[in-house]
Amino acid sequence: MFEERGAEKLRTYEEINQKIRQGDAIVLTADEFIKTVESSGLEYAAKEVDVVTTGTFGAMCSSGAFINFGHADPPIKMFKCWLNDVPAYKGLAAVDCYIGATAMSETRDFEYGGGHVIEDLVSGKEIELRAEAYGTDCYPRRSIETAININDLNQAILLNPRNAYERYNAATNSTDRTLYTYMGTLLPHYGNVTYCGAGQSSPLYKDKGFETVGIGTRIFLGGGIGYIMGEGTQHNPQNQLGTLMVRGDLKKMNNRYLRGATYYRYGTTLYVGVGIPIPIINEKVAASAALKDDEIFTKILDYGIPSRSRPTVKKTSYAELKSGKVVIDDREIASSSLSSFKVASEIAKTLKEWITEGSFLLNRPAELITDHREFKPLEVRRREPRVGDVMIREITVGNPTDDIKSIAKILIEKGVDHLPIADNEGKLVGIVTSWDLAKALAQDKKQLDEVMTSRVITAREDEVIDMVVRRMEQHNISGVPVVDQSNHIIGILTTDHLSRKLIRRHLL
Amino acid sequence: MKLKLIYSPENVQRPVLSEIIQRTNVPINILKAEVKPNSGEMLIDVLAVGEKLKEVLSLFQKAGVKVKEITRTLEIDHVRCISCGACVSPCPVQAISQDENWDIIFDEEKCIGCRICVHACPMGVIQMF
Ligand code: SF4
Ligand code: SF4
Repeated sequence: MFEERGAEKLRTYEEINQKIRQGDAIVLTADEFIKTVESSGLEYAAKEVDVVTTGTFGAMCSSGAFINFGHADPPIKMFKCWLNDVPAYKGLAAVDCYIGATAMSETRDFEYGGGHVIEDLVSGKEIELRAEAYGTDCYPRRSIETAININDLNQAILLNPRNAYERYNAATNSTDRTLYTYMGTLLPHYGNVTYCGAGQSSPLYKDKGFETVGIGTRIFLGGGIGYIMGEGTQHNPQNQLGTLMVRGDLKKMNNRYLRGATYYRYGTTLYVGVGIPIPIINEKVAASAALKDDEIFTKILDYGIPSRSRPTVKKTSYAELKSGKVVIDDREIASSSLSSFKVASEIAKTLKEWITEGSFLLNRPAELITDHREFKPLEVRRREPRVGDVMIREITVGNPTDDIKSIAKILIEKGVDHLPIADNEGKLVGIVTSWDLAKALAQDKKQLDEVMTSRVITAREDEVIDMVVRRMEQHNISGVPVVDQSNHIIGILTTDHLSRKLIRRHLL
Repeated sequence: MKLKLIYSPENVQRPVLSEIIQRTNVPINILKAEVKPNSGEMLIDVLAVGEKLKEVLSLFQKAGVKVKEITRTLEIDHVRCISCGACVSPCPVQAISQDENWDIIFDEEKCIGCRICVHACPMGVIQMF
């Protein structure tokens, strides 16, 4: 039979709160609830347990705070503003701003950003405030420089458009160089696996049918009390990738659960602590709250492929990821988390204490979070130049057995610097540059295969040029052969040729 | 003893390391190697002490390879550490692990001083001296 979402069949919110007030509510953390289900069965646990508490503590880039500074005398309508040299968004009223977690300091770059400003505010530290204005009749002041701390502010409200991802993908790297990503440091050749999310303690996974979480749900946020404002951006519930938008009073938060962070060569962010109480109102909620790490799956994606649709290397569970080793192609690979399970479990325990001691009541949401939302990519409508548009198609190709002297002659005659080497079927096997050839002649080498580079960096015809240029810069090379699916050479792209083409386009 | 070898364009193409292993019979573990056409750096663990170790060192010097002893280790600020694990799997020699409470354990013996963890830590709590 079709049941409406959020049916309060086992207990109502009022009944739960009544028990909390009397000190009789049975509250367990997600880990404890799982143990109870294992020892006594789901039916028993659902009947006995009123509330299951959850927790997560990880990097949540879509976070930030609204701040109201109060008015100076004479007053200023701030047009641009910086907190400890980190720019804050000023498209708001005179002394309101939004400081976002990923904004970076203009003087310290990656080392310090909006996330750190928020942590420092919560810690009670003095923050340098600098602002500029154009001056108006009502707001004559044109600049201000002063120090503020959180107690000076009228409001400091944490408002995060996307937090508490239900689960997230894991990451690895197939390429031959170390990658520095928002998934942390990824060693070459599948050297390690990183992952995030809280697994069996994850707030949204513990109510994956969105039976209880909704607008207005009271939660643990950054060590204080917060509220769910609605679905988060990129909310994708049908794929178990739900998210939340949350808000809370920064003045009542705790810097243990709000931490500024830096991902090397990626940027700054904020680690946010979120804990949600899940009232066990019906069997579906109970079953979801009982899910264990080995029943929560995710994909390990190859972050070496710089595309929106990164290939899946393996499907895995949080249990495997948390074991510290993941098997990929018969090889054991070290895995480690970016989120903190230690702090996540602390959050679930703290929330349990709050409820048990009667200082935190549950509430029926004004509206449940939707359990379906279309997930759309951004299509680039302007045509971007692709490799096939500019590559040179008439190319000279060498054979591994060719004689070096004759090849050198061809290169000089044609005035080119790069010579791809192909086997008899036209498949790419190497490349030599005029520099390699000169060196080979000096050393009296005879055949091409003695001097060619056989690990060739290549490009594909349908790749966007920007990506290929970035690859050439990374490898410090000036040309790449273009190959098709089966590694046949179909062209070549060189920086020399590219810059000539671009200059020509500029001149026209 | 852990050593950092710095090769020059003159000696990077020569099999210095294997010649020394053959001559001295000392086992040497290569922990990390970055060899380019005209330069190179290697981190090795020489499993020898006393006279044998000195012999190895002097042979490297003779071959024109610069040798630095690795004595630098890490300092982790355990108070500000959030026990996330972002430093754990990137360590190429598994010198950092987590206990059952997810707290970090650092094994100084294994560390080769590559600094990867220093950058990998999002909280900036690992330092190297
Ligand atoms: S410096 Fe860090 S990453 Fe490198 S070996 Fe030592 S512990 Fe591991
Ligand atoms: S990455 Fe930094 S904060 Fe995380 S466990 Fe390692 S030392 Fe601690």
